[in-house]
Amino acid sequence: MHYPWWYIPFLTSPMLIAIIAVLHVLIAHYAVGGGLFLAVETQYAYRQNHREYLAYLREHARFFILITVVYGAITGIGIWWTIGVASPLATQTLIHIFVFGWAMEYVFFVLEIVSAFIFFYFWGRLDPKTHMRVGWIYAGSAWMSLVIITGITAFMLNSGRWPEDRTFWAGFLNPQFVPQVLARTGGAFLLASLYVYLHATFKAKDPTLRDLIAARSARPALLGSILITLGGIGWYLTLPESSRAALAVASTLNILVVLLFAITIAVFFMLYLGPYRNPGWLSPGFALLFFTFGLAAITTGEYIREAVRKPYIIYNVVLGNQIYAEKVPELRRRGYLEGGTWTKAWVSHHYPQVVNNGRIDPARLLMLPEDDQVKLGEVLFLYHCNNCHAGQRGFSAVGQLLRGWTPEMVRTVVRHPERAHFFMPPWAGTPEEAELLTKYLLRIALPRPGGMYLGDGQ
Amino acid sequence: MDPTTLIGPSSPLGYPAPYWFIVALKVLGFTLHMVPMHLWYTGILLAMLLYWRGGEEARRLSRRLTWPMPIVIALGINFGIVPLLFTQVAYYKVFYPATILMAWPWVSIIALLALAYSGVYIFVAGLRSEETPLARWRQAVGWITAALFLLIGFFFSNAFSLMTNVRAWPDLWLHKSIGGAPLGTALNTGDPTLWPRWLMMLALALTTTAAFIVVDAQWFASREGAEYRAVARRIAFGISTLGVLGFAITGSWYVFGTWPEDLRAEMLRSPWRVLMGLTAISPGVPWLLILWQWRRGGTRARAAATALAQSLVLAFNAISRQIVQNAELRPFLDVTTEPVHIQWSPLFLFLLLFTLGLGLIAWMLSKLQASAKTSESG
Repeated sequence: MHYPWWYIPFLTSPMLIAIIAVLHVLIAHYAVGGGLFLAVETQYAYRQNHREYLAYLREHARFFILITVVYGAITGIGIWWTIGVASPLATQTLIHIFVFGWAMEYVFFVLEIVSAFIFFYFWGRLDPKTHMRVGWIYAGSAWMSLVIITGITAFMLNSGRWPEDRTFWAGFLNPQFVPQVLARTGGAFLLASLYVYLHATFKAKDPTLRDLIAARSARPALLGSILITLGGIGWYLTLPESSRAALAVASTLNILVVLLFAITIAVFFMLYLGPYRNPGWLSPGFALLFFTFGLAAITTGEYIREAVRKPYIIYNVVLGNQIYAEKVPELRRRGYLEGGTWTKAWVSHHYPQVVNNGRIDPARLLMLPEDDQVKLGEVLFLYHCNNCHAGQRGFSAVGQLLRGWTPEMVRTVVRHPERAHFFMPPWAGTPEEAELLTKYLLRIALPRPGGMYLGDGQ
Repeated sequence: MDPTTLIGPSSPLGYPAPYWFIVALKVLGFTLHMVPMHLWYTGILLAMLLYWRGGEEARRLSRRLTWPMPIVIALGINFGIVPLLFTQVAYYKVFYPATILMAWPWVSIIALLALAYSGVYIFVAGLRSEETPLARWRQAVGWITAALFLLIGFFFSNAFSLMTNVRAWPDLWLHKSIGGAPLGTALNTGDPTLWPRWLMMLALALTTTAAFIVVDAQWFASREGAEYRAVARRIAFGISTLGVLGFAITGSWYVFGTWPEDLRAEMLRSPWRVLMGLTAISPGVPWLLILWQWRRGGTRARAAATALAQSLVLAFNAISRQIVQNAELRPFLDVTTEPVHIQWSPLFLFLLLFTLGLGLIAWMLSKLQASAKTSESG
């Protein structure tokens, strides 16, 4: 409400975050797990004086740097870029609470970059002991950056004691912190192994070496699976009640949870039967399938993690439509259009007749011609609802959702969306504004689909 | 419409540290970011031009400019996080609206950067062998990459000039929005300060690249011959001259051709007059040092002095930009009067980690130096 709302037709701007975030997560977990893989395995290869394995690891380090340093860094910044324009109030709030968390993460980023480049570009030029230490510096820094960013993202799902005492540590050490660190660390182990399998099946030509890689990478992957399971249980147990309810009630989430379980179990079995028991099974096709399953599991998990937070961006603090939860009563009193910096400016510019003593008079809104009321309803829709709903067509489009609704049904839901669905934000405007939004929604609602036989011919 | 009405209220959380601390980190971060950013901004373009039109030594220089680019870009992106982070802490009221108004170009920077970074890798891979000429398609990728970096710079200049050009917001918003929600397609091209700002950064980038060339020639090009170093110094002087002239022209255009009278009067009054003067004349110092090296030959100490002088140029530039930014915003917003709620323990932990991080980096670099000495003696 303090900022303009960026309108993206069909997709809605928050969905843009999801796209970039998923891409980043797939790379960022590899950046952590892959770093640990390289540190552990380089140490092993040096100690065994296994030259072929060292040569392979060097080749893998090149691939690793290309993927993580280039695309990991860019997509990571991409998320930040996108949340700033799609969820500015939530971003502003997170930055003001956790700026030093990000600054600490930045220190680890720089360490990651420097150590990664030294590890790869000075391979063979540093003595093995120093080389291994540099690898461990990378691995430690990458894991620390995971820990720090998880503290911040976990806070978004369960803000814990922060609304009461408002300190950095109350927010950072939230109930979701430890479970999510466990799950993400496990995800990093597992995903890194899948990247290794994929890379090794194409690059390691010697079957003995390939078997060695498969067998050695199976252990961290299985450990990762255990951590994911433990973290997942902890995640569920520390979910806010509404998030658990959302998991139970939303059919899309039901399907995704089942899908997530199915894929995860498939990955566990494939890991055990394939690389762990029968390393020779690992072929490019098997690795590719494995990798795809891993990506699908992580993508599904991330989607669920994001979706159960509704109606909040930051649980109990910032609602999806970019208002502080604590401001809802005030907005109901003053009006949503009056309370928003840009909505007020827009109304004052286009409809100065509704402004009285510098304030928007809700009663005057309903005196405007019908078309103008609908236009104001559109403003309310964009600033209040477009975070989750496209207009007539697109992502969760209200025009489709309201097919066949009567005006009274629409009016009732507009006035109390949180009662119709607990995962929707409450109405944060005056009754007059609710009427404007109702009129707009009725204008864009599509008719009930025809041709439906309901027994009585109605 | 009064543009001030588009500036939202203060955050109830306040600043997590005193304003001076936030702005000091912002300026320091921007200075650090400018070094690698300048290298890719003009370095790729210069490398392409040198490869295209230069002789054997110029092509060698082109290679030397391009080889470190993957690392330079990685460092530059990371160094860029700091100023952007602290911009969002202190300038959130203008940063978010400006970037939302031009959301598509702003977000497209990510895609453009991914393409450009990939392009750099493709280009660098083609330069591995000195004997084999660079394939035409790789050359094409190099040109496209150079153009992409220029475009990214243009979008950045748009965002940061729009951030202070609050007067332009109403028009840009009302003409490019639906139901009061911006389409995110605006650009700040109507702002007369945009063009000199963009070009001034380009000119400054040329001077940084020139300084890099002489530093590289004296410090890191031990395998190259004396002839190469002489050519590198000559070319560096040409680039530096072009950069200094460009900086003088675009800087004068910016200050005397686009600033409102009151801003110019403020900035040319004491105490800022001294800072403005230093900012204006400081690029002359590395230029003179490069001229000296071109005429009298280079040494490591002279190259180091050039690097130091160029660092000061960038620091003066970053400080001046900060002062101007605040002065431009003052009619709409005073960023120094926000409430402050200092987060002491996270602040100290950050400073501790920062120190430890620097220590670890110093340790790694010392190991590199030791390994270089060993391989030289071996």
